[in-house]
This record gives sequence, structure tokens and C-alpha cells, in this order.
Amino acid sequence: MKTYADIVGDGGSNVLAQVQQQAVRLQERLRSVRHIVAVVSGKGGVGKSTVTVNLATAYAMRGQRVGVLDVDLNGPSVAKMLGVRGYTPQLTSAGVIPATGPLAMRVMSMDLFLPDDATPVTWKAPTQQEAFVWRGTMEMTSLRELLTDTIWGELDCLFLDLPPGADRLPNVAGLLPFMAGVLLVTIPSQVSQLIVQKSLTLAREVLPKRLIGLVDNMQGYVCPHCQTLGELFPESSSASLAVALQMPYLLGIPFDPRLACAADQGRPFVLDHAETLAGQAFRELAATVARFLALRDSTGDIP
Amino acid sequence: MKFLCMTCDEALRHRETRGPEDGVMTVIFSCPACGWDMAMFTNPWETQLVRSLDVKIGGRAVPAEPLEMLRSALAQGKEALSPPVPSAAAASAEAPKCPFADVVASAYNEAQTQAEQATSNDVRWTREAEERIEQRIPSFIRPMARMGIEKYARERGYREITPTVLDEAKNIFMG
Repeated sequence: MKTYADIVGDGGSNVLAQVQQQAVRLQERLRSVRHIVAVVSGKGGVGKSTVTVNLATAYAMRGQRVGVLDVDLNGPSVAKMLGVRGYTPQLTSAGVIPATGPLAMRVMSMDLFLPDDATPVTWKAPTQQEAFVWRGTMEMTSLRELLTDTIWGELDCLFLDLPPGADRLPNVAGLLPFMAGVLLVTIPSQVSQLIVQKSLTLAREVLPKRLIGLVDNMQGYVCPHCQTLGELFPESSSASLAVALQMPYLLGIPFDPRLACAADQGRPFVLDHAETLAGQAFRELAATVARFLALRDSTGDIP
Repeated sequence: MKFLCMTCDEALRHRETRGPEDGVMTVIFSCPACGWDMAMFTNPWETQLVRSLDVKIGGRAVPAEPLEMLRSALAQGKEALSPPVPSAAAASAEAPKCPFADVVASAYNEAQTQAEQATSNDVRWTREAEERIEQRIPSFIRPMARMGIEKYARERGYREITPTVLDEAKNIFMG
């Protein structure tokens, strides 16, 4: 009796070639993007989007051409934080024109496709029961389309704001194995650090040599009156964790109440507060990322 | 997925696609050697899973439109984004006959499929018969049951499926 391998073709679908073609189209689109950096945590609520938006802005302040993709399809916040929520992506035969944020940053987010604040991302289906069977695949396909069909143009760096969940990076790495760097974000709490360790393990596994380092967000609280730094969490820093896990510890970013105001107003904090403690931290972080990417370029250490 | 006629040791070939109805598609394959027919049913989750992969079963005849899957599958999106994404069949008259990709695309764009049109033109269901099959037959086997009943009706020259026809068919099928 014939076996699976004996039967030539798959009935005419050529599914394998279609999947390969999807990957080719993705690579072709991203050919004009010099680097892609993912901002990851695994833990929710540590400020990944705040870090992404302000890091991207600080990077653009260095004269770089920057894009930001909100990978959090179900809880998108980047469009709001960059003040482009009112934009509707323009469809052309060549692709989709993204929103233009501050400093000409190109912004794409699922938020731009939703009709109002209260509408969640839901998919047409004969039944929503047991939707977990296919929803993850639908989301990854949508993410691939957002990456492939957005007209990014020439970018020095595209920053990806990943949603919570340690599994997210491996999924995105499957789409973007050529990603240049991964930034891990935590807060100085053991609960957060516990989850971040899992993300680190996965990052090393799926994207070896791409770990830029660990960022400690909300490391202390900046008094709006005297600008002194007070403790916010029981742990003062995640630096010891980084040492224990043998990963670079980059810096701590203090919480400044104006960060929340800036996010709500859709204007990146670092634009108007570049000289504050938090503003300086974002600028230093941008410089660190730039050095990492420059080093990769110079050594040719690109998988 | 590949299918083999174990009698002839020949790979089955796609012959026809029907549906989807309630998310269930019927894909019929035939053995080129002996003519034996086999029907494959996809349940709603399998149908949706194929769709979520954004691959065209039967092959893609035209390049994908920008955000084709996202725009056609997002349940609630901005109106400005909703120009209909042409199905493979609509986009190219030379599109290959696809076991179910076109059918899936059409179904979720709320277009009536050719298969459905053919069926509805061929044998009509009375409201009473429709209600009865809705009430008594679980959704996941309803397409199979409908197909069998319509075949029964056609073979006997019935133009209309009534509760009486359902009773007749039931007696035949259930012995």
C-alpha cells in the first residue's frame, strides 16, 4: 500500500509553498528595515508599552528613522500613547500606510482598525465556542499580515511592543528569526522577576545572542516636588537578578507621575521631559540599544 | 492531508465541495481508478482553523490583498477598512477549483456559494422541513443529513423536501 510520502503533491493546494511565499513576502517587506528590536517581559503591568514608546522616541531623537508595531492585538495601547488613535490606516495596492507619530515615527496597531473604544478584537466564525482552538493562529496570521503589509519604508529600527506571556517571544521569533535584539523589562519585585526568568530562558533558546539586557522599570519614585528618588518596591533593583542569570543589566527607570499623564495625552514623556531622571534613563537606554545594534552590524553577527 | 483508495492503491482526487453550512464543509473525493467516492466533513473548528492559517486549499491563484485575512475576518472593524476582499474565484476566472478555500472565503464574506445556489435551485426545502431538521438534527451532522436527504429527493424526482419526504428518507436510512 502507498504511504503518505508515495503520493505526490497535496491535492493541488501546495500549502507548503504558500507558507514559504508568506515568509518571502515578509522578508521582502522588511528588507527596508535595518533592525527589529522586541520589548518583552512575560509579566503584565511592568510598563512594556511605556518603555517601548519612550525608547522608540528617544531613539528617534537621536536622528534615527523609527517604527513601532503594537504586537498586543487584544490590549493595544501604543496608538493611544503615541497620539495616533484617530488615524485609519490607508489601504493601497502596495500595502497599508501606517500612522505617523511624533518625530515621523511609523506606527501600526490593531487599535487603528477597531471602530470605537469598547470594541474588542473578535473574529468572524461559525461559532465562538471553543474559539481557543483557532484564535491563537488567527492572531499570529494577523500579526504576520501587519508586519508584511504595512508600508514601513526605510527604517533604522522597528520596535515591537509584545504583550504579556512568556510564550509571545517564541511565537514572534518564528515569524522574525532575523530579529536583531530583545529587551527584557521587569520591575523590582520578586513576582515580576520570577516570570521574567522564564522569558529569558525562552529568549536565549529562540533568539541566541540577541539579548540586549534587562531594564528595571519603576525603579523608585520621583517626587514631583523635590525630584528626589524614593523606593517604590521592596526590592531596590533587579541588578542582582541579572548578575545571577548572567545577562546584562542595563539600567533602572524611575517612575515619574508625568509618565502616566503623557501616556494619556498621547505624547511620549521623553519628548517634553528629556532632562528628568526618567527622561535621561530613556535616552541612555536608546544609546545602549544603538551601541548593541552597531556592534552587531560591525561584527556581522547576524544569524 | 492526502487520501488513498486502499482497494486500488490510488490517491483520491478532489471532485466537489459543498457548504459550508453551520461552519461544516463537505469535500468529496473520488478514486480515479474505480470511481469510489468519499466525503470528508470539516467541523466548524477545522473550517475556521484552515481559514486562520490564511492558506488556500486548492492553491492561491492571485496574490494576497493587503491585510486580506485581517480585514475579512475581523468581526467589527472600521467601516473605511471594509472594502470587500475579492475571493479567489471572483478575482480570477482561471482560479483552480479549490476544495474549500473559496467556499470558506465566500461563506465568511456572507456570499452565497455556488454550491448553495445549486442546491437551493435544485431541491427546495419547505419551512416545516427546515424547522424539523433544525430541531432534531445536531448542527455538526446537519450538512451530512441534508446532503443525504437532498440526494434521496433528487433520485426520486422530488422538487420539494417536505416533512413527508423526511419521514420517507428516515425510514430508508434508519431501516
